[in-house]
Amino acid sequence: MTLGILTDSTCDLPQSLVSQHQLEVVPSILILEGKEYADGIDLSRDEFYKRLPALRSHPTTAAPSIGAFTARYQKLLDAGCDHVLSIHAAGPLTSMVHIARQAAQEFPERVTVVDSLSLSLGLGFQVLAAAESAEAGIEAALAAIQSTRRRTRLFAALDTLEYLRRSGRVPGTIVLLGSLLSVKPIVELADGEVKAIRAVRTTKQANARMLSFLRQGGDLERLAILHTGAEARARGFLDQLMNEMSQAVPRDILMVNVTTTIGAHVGPNGLGFAAVTR
Amino acid sequence: MGIDTVRVEKLRGKPLDGQAVKRLVEAGLLWLKTNQQTVNSLNVFPVPDGDTGTNMMLTMTSAWNEIKDSGEKHAGRMVAVVAKGALMGARGNSGVILSQLWRGFARATQDSAIIDAEAFVRGLVEARDTAYKGVVRPVEGTILTVAKDTASAGEAALAEMRDPIDILARCVPAADESVNRTPELLPILKQAGVVDSGAKGLFFILEGMLRYVYGKPLDTPLTTVQPLSSLNFENAMQEVEEGQDYEVVVDFFPGQQFELHKFYGRLEEMGTSIQVGEGDGMYRMHIHVPLDKRYEPIDYIMGIGTITKVAMENLTAQMDDMDARTKDSKLELAKVESDQIAVVVVSPGPGLSRIFASLGVAAIVSGGQTMNPSTQEILTAFENLPTDKIIVLPNNKNIILAANQAKEVTVKKVEVVPSKTAPQGLAAMLAHNPDGELASVAEKMTKALSEVATGEVTRATRTVEIDGVNVKEGEVISLADGKLVASSKSIEEGVMAFLAKAQAAEHELITLYYGEDLDQSEANRIVDAVRQAYPGQEIELQDGGQPHYQFIISVE
Repeated sequence: MTLGILTDSTCDLPQSLVSQHQLEVVPSILILEGKEYADGIDLSRDEFYKRLPALRSHPTTAAPSIGAFTARYQKLLDAGCDHVLSIHAAGPLTSMVHIARQAAQEFPERVTVVDSLSLSLGLGFQVLAAAESAEAGIEAALAAIQSTRRRTRLFAALDTLEYLRRSGRVPGTIVLLGSLLSVKPIVELADGEVKAIRAVRTTKQANARMLSFLRQGGDLERLAILHTGAEARARGFLDQLMNEMSQAVPRDILMVNVTTTIGAHVGPNGLGFAAVTR
Repeated sequence: MGIDTVRVEKLRGKPLDGQAVKRLVEAGLLWLKTNQQTVNSLNVFPVPDGDTGTNMMLTMTSAWNEIKDSGEKHAGRMVAVVAKGALMGARGNSGVILSQLWRGFARATQDSAIIDAEAFVRGLVEARDTAYKGVVRPVEGTILTVAKDTASAGEAALAEMRDPIDILARCVPAADESVNRTPELLPILKQAGVVDSGAKGLFFILEGMLRYVYGKPLDTPLTTVQPLSSLNFENAMQEVEEGQDYEVVVDFFPGQQFELHKFYGRLEEMGTSIQVGEGDGMYRMHIHVPLDKRYEPIDYIMGIGTITKVAMENLTAQMDDMDARTKDSKLELAKVESDQIAVVVVSPGPGLSRIFASLGVAAIVSGGQTMNPSTQEILTAFENLPTDKIIVLPNNKNIILAANQAKEVTVKKVEVVPSKTAPQGLAAMLAHNPDGELASVAEKMTKALSEVATGEVTRATRTVEIDGVNVKEGEVISLADGKLVASSKSIEEGVMAFLAKAQAAEHELITLYYGEDLDQSEANRIVDAVRQAYPGQEIELQDGGQPHYQFIISVE
């Protein structure tokens, strides 16, 4: 039995891994000043983050159409897959899973939709785990997804509250939105929910906190450094990381300019990580 | 005025019961009140901060209010009530220690219907022990030392005498000597050329009791003149007596026949809250008078000297204004659920209160440098909250003890995160998690305290040399985490001096909270200069609204 895997562009997997595992990726949609762009295709991420601070209206995001999903399911099945595993961005945060499920109804018993309850490499690592055990069949792939999800931690240090405030997608627990001081919140994404952990006032404090959160995880199986148009900051963080805990990190560390679906809501110059513990 | 020996003999024959205790407490309070400004002026740092005399006086007043209508005959039970009142009213570090002295005294005498010599000395000894235990790192050369020396004098006297009055008579001079020795024990006092203020306050309480026994007056204002720089009229303003509606301040050069005793005598006939200061031959007189007598002090002083300046203010209007200012800032405080952690902060100004509120604090107690809240005020703030889990941010080194005391009194689970400045409190607030586990949240908040360096810029209240910095009264001084680091001619220079000391260029963010004495345009001008000097740093200006301190600054 051959298992095909579809995910969406919010998984942030680099093209090399997408090709290596023959993954199918449906792009999410970004709407900038009234115009639609396919995430990472019509508009590069670098370009997006460069333009973000100067935009007159707040960018919004949308899920691809049902048709975009059905086309890809059809493509995979036509290519000889017996079954399609469709793994997507957190249901509570995007409508991706909802639309995938609607599209899957056209292929009874042939498509299994999974809500990753995560974003970016939090989703991406689940996709990789599934791809790595795809040969053993769908049950093994689903078990690998569950296991990875349980061991994944995803944190982000935002540079400002401004984008979160404007996006209207405010995590219920953030009390800092009324803050008269400029603060930099640190949030955790877990079980499909964004929770504010605390706030700091400087980048240095944020990096120190992120490092300590990372350290709490112990030895890591997979790690990705995430940033929103802030490669220099991400590189600096990586250096700090290698200095302080090089023993505990995997050999290949991904460095990702994250999906515009996240970037539109958190703003530029943010730093994050997705880590899977051993 | 000598000792009324007939009276002393009469008192000696009477047992020291509950009512006698009450009269002694009142005497201690009255004499402290009379000398309050003297104690206030014993300030090591030339900064406008917590006035020890006022704090101790308010602590004693709270004790007195508990017993003033009491007919209790049992001495031990009366002292217990005094101790409770002092505890709830304790303000500032000296006030808290004073309340602990009373607590110890009460514990040792609780079963004594009458306090005899043994019970009295037992009380002094237990007072000393309780106060020492109440402080994490006891410092000698303070009120603690005086409590210790007083107890030792009492113990020594017990070998020879059997009457508590005679023991007290031995203790008071011992306390006096102990006060005078404080600069030898605490170098900072010697540098500043003062004795310890809390120590002096305790001495006045003991001396007041003895003066009562001797039949000496307790309410005559000091016929002494303070240095002009130590005159502090703001405290006087906090307690406006009914009918004394006007504050009159007159600067004058006295004529040849000027006699201080007579001068005070005449002023007393006119009003209250009398203070007289002198500097370079010029005198400054301060008095509160009723409306119809508001010109009397001026007319009188015109007759005995040359007036250079007169200032008159309507106190009632000023108080209303102050009330209005504190009320108009309606704050939206965080609503906490019964299972969440609530944070209570002490805030020195309305602007800072707004910022704290915006970060999710549940209750705010006003108070700061010059106005230390009492244990009771802190307690009330968290007793009113719907949760049992409380974190307190005192935001001032002189309020931490009172916060700890409030923690001990309440049945709620309280953690004091010992923030010494408002920026430290704000840093801690950012680490707050209302849904976390109390001890671990408090630990995280405590860790956050060290993430900021705090600067304070204010005007020196007197001329002094501290930590190698020469300060002239009226000059701008800069403090870095409580240490005097520079003296400058302007506020801008003071700000820059702190920033240089704090190595702001090595940091990311400079936040300046401007005080109520500074208008916004001036604050903006200075901040622009800071921006120029520190182009690599983020600079943020906030309205702090704190009194006396033109700027509170954080560097992180």
